[in-house]
Amino acid sequence: MSGRRSRQSTSSTSSRITDDQIIDLVSKLHQLLPEIRSTRRSNKINIEQASANKVLQETCNYIRNLHKEVDDLSDRLSQLLSSIDADSPEAAIIRSLI
Amino acid sequence: MKARMQNSSSSAALLKQEFLKKWINGLQTYTNTKKEMTILDRKNAIKLSADIAIASTRNFSTNWSRAVMADVSKNVDGSSKIVTEKILGRKETCIIKCSKNIMRKSRLLAHRRRAIRRTIGRTSVKAASAIAKELVKKRTRVLKRLVPGGKQMNEICLIKETLDYIASLQVQVDVMRNIANAADHQCLDSTERSLL
Repeated sequence: MSGRRSRQSTSSTSSRITDDQIIDLVSKLHQLLPEIRSTRRSNKINIEQASANKVLQETCNYIRNLHKEVDDLSDRLSQLLSSIDADSPEAAIIRSLI
Repeated sequence: MKARMQNSSSSAALLKQEFLKKWINGLQTYTNTKKEMTILDRKNAIKLSADIAIASTRNFSTNWSRAVMADVSKNVDGSSKIVTEKILGRKETCIIKCSKNIMRKSRLLAHRRRAIRRTIGRTSVKAASAIAKELVKKRTRVLKRLVPGGKQMNEICLIKETLDYIASLQVQVDVMRNIANAADHQCLDSTERSLL
């Protein structure tokens, strides 16, 4: 399969992921994701695809959580900072943190 | 803050510093523009500055960061342009405007790629592996919606962009959380002092 040879992704020709690439990228995602729940039920399905599926699911959930966190933190900060004013005491705190 | 940074890897620490500086720069545009801001206005300002700041830490070398800027510049309210100029400088902002064309071109390319794929015949095999592939496809579609600019990427590109995007989101969340906690403590301290 041409995809296997052209690992570096200038691949406009190969649109399908090979197993090797999945394993490689899945391991990297593993490191970034906080926790991967182990597959509970026995898989008749291809192991790599099962883990790719699980990792994709965890990834989507994680990204959604991060988006929500950014939103919540923006909410919280908008209430804490009484004004985004350069002279306010809160801005001085922030500057001292840099 | 310095002690905490020594614990995390140096590249993540540098990213955090860069993000924080750019974010604060962005927020400073609001000090002069509007005097009265509602809580919702403030929240949107904070979020907008944070998004532009985190996208710019990638120097727009990734698709997701370009997609974020393309979305931001669609914003009708002129404030996004001012914030971008404050964070990036005028020259870079003009370059960002060109990114809209890049996004359009990549969308056209994606359409062409998809058309080619459809014309190539596919053997359909009813097997457990086919079901698994469907699941993976389904999840990939969801992921494409979550990562900015994902719809125009092929699958390999998507996963690489996802890795970078998640790392950047973690930086953004960490810094914002630290600031929020610090501001929290300061508010508590000052209210305690006022009660004495």
